Amino acid sequence: MSTIAPFSGFGLGLRRTHYQDFLESDVPVDFVEVISENYMVDGGNPLRILEEVRAKMPVILHGVSMSIGSANGLDSEYLARLEMLANRIDPLWVSDHLCWTRTSAHNSHDLLPLPYTREALDVVCSNIDHAQETLGRPMLFENPSSYMTFPEDEMTEWEFLSAMSLRTGCYLLLDVNNIYVSAHNHGFSADDYLAGIPADRVRQIHLAGHTDGDIKIDTHDALVCDGVWQLYAKARGILGDVATMIERDDGIPPLPELLTELDRARALATGPSPTDGPTDGPTERIAA
Amino acid sequence: MIAANSLGERQQEFMAQVLDDEHPLPAGWTDRHAAGMDIYRNAYRARLVDALRDTYERTAKWAGEDAFRQAAAHHLINRPPNSWTLDDAGDGFPETLRELFTGDPEVAELGWLEWAMHRAFVAADAVPMVAEDLGKLAATFAEEDWGNMQLTFLPGTDQRLVRHDVGALWRALAGEEELAAEDRPEVISAQPMHLVVWREGVKPVFMQVSDAEGRALQMMRNGSTYGAMCAYLVESLGEEEAIAESGAMLGRWLHNGLIAAITK
Repeated sequence: MSTIAPFSGFGLGLRRTHYQDFLESDVPVDFVEVISENYMVDGGNPLRILEEVRAKMPVILHGVSMSIGSANGLDSEYLARLEMLANRIDPLWVSDHLCWTRTSAHNSHDLLPLPYTREALDVVCSNIDHAQETLGRPMLFENPSSYMTFPEDEMTEWEFLSAMSLRTGCYLLLDVNNIYVSAHNHGFSADDYLAGIPADRVRQIHLAGHTDGDIKIDTHDALVCDGVWQLYAKARGILGDVATMIERDDGIPPLPELLTELDRARALATGPSPTDGPTDGPTERIAA
Repeated sequence: MIAANSLGERQQEFMAQVLDDEHPLPAGWTDRHAAGMDIYRNAYRARLVDALRDTYERTAKWAGEDAFRQAAAHHLINRPPNSWTLDDAGDGFPETLRELFTGDPEVAELGWLEWAMHRAFVAADAVPMVAEDLGKLAATFAEEDWGNMQLTFLPGTDQRLVRHDVGALWRALAGEEELAAEDRPEVISAQPMHLVVWREGVKPVFMQVSDAEGRALQMMRNGSTYGAMCAYLVESLGEEEAIAESGAMLGRWLHNGLIAAITK
């Protein structure tokens, strides 16, 4: 399996509401990320636009439906369509989530949680091998937000991700908001999580907003909160210069607002690493 | 209670809980697990209902939000999604609308139009033939070639028999705002006609054609020859009108960019 060279820069998710901005102006980003499934179609305007944007800048294909944790294996039609899209777009890389979405009979279209067991690790690694062989390239997998853990868990999420990456050669997409959300929801230390991730396997960082509550929910519909910014600064201190982007999928503001938010990521990335305390508590603090 | 021993069994069990509020929780799960499951259930329903509303925007506006939500929930219970793409979640929804809105049959007809437009939007790309192309081809035709001629239509082309002026509904529901009561068009029960959907460039479009033209088009889309289509038209319209109409239809389909290829 080939390797993925590090790529530094700052990007945004390409969403329909900003198509014209990207087609008609030079948006100051280093890459865009698209939801793969939106373009795994036979033809028409979405593919035409994606190809036009691709002619301007690198594109990352980020999927939500591979269902890498499905015990019944991967969907061959899905893989074939993703392979066609990847060959057509020549993306920086192809990514998906550490989760499952479907059984043989039904598809939830949601990122459902996996138990972190040796059995699940075997299933996930077997599926990743299958996907990477089919696509002819290594993939990135993203840590999910989750709303429950399982009594049968045998390892932490970061131990699972580390073992998965070691066994399959896949890379990691670290969603800092998801670490923040899951740390709150499950009571683990975000600092322990960052320390436990194999830094040399991380090729991308996601930043996003969430909805607060007794259980925090990863909704991608709000500004990145201060606690996540702090955790991002720490992650940069550990991971170094990693491609970073802001994900917004709902309540999408005009592009200039997202670019302003992305500037904050740039500023944090070039500034000194924070020296303040743990960032795994539920209280949001003002970034230094 | 199903004993969840393997990952596959656990996933079947988890999915059953996502799909059904009444499905019992596994042994050993706590209130905290139940709270987490509620989030997954809500996310599943919200995402699918939003996807249906996005695809069937005009239908939702015409039926009303509450009625549409109930129809969407009914559809998800009876036809939970199994495709990898969320785009397919709306497959079969016009049939659900037909079953639920028995007193308002135009709702299902409008739903069909939105679904066909949705499918045409991402259909495979193809270049439509123009009249000049037919002219060049016709110059090579022997007399019998006209009768044997077959047409290939653009990917995404679809049609359906309707009994209401769905085109008027489509236009009235075009705005983003809710339709005021005084602006709701009267639902006219029209003579049977066919809605024909295809894509012009990147834009899905539709037209309403007569029942005779719709049936002729259906024949050609099913692989009939032009000769068989003309014979049908003679039978249904009489010879004189059939001669005029068959040529006019072919010209209209070419002019509107529905035809991808002609073979003899």
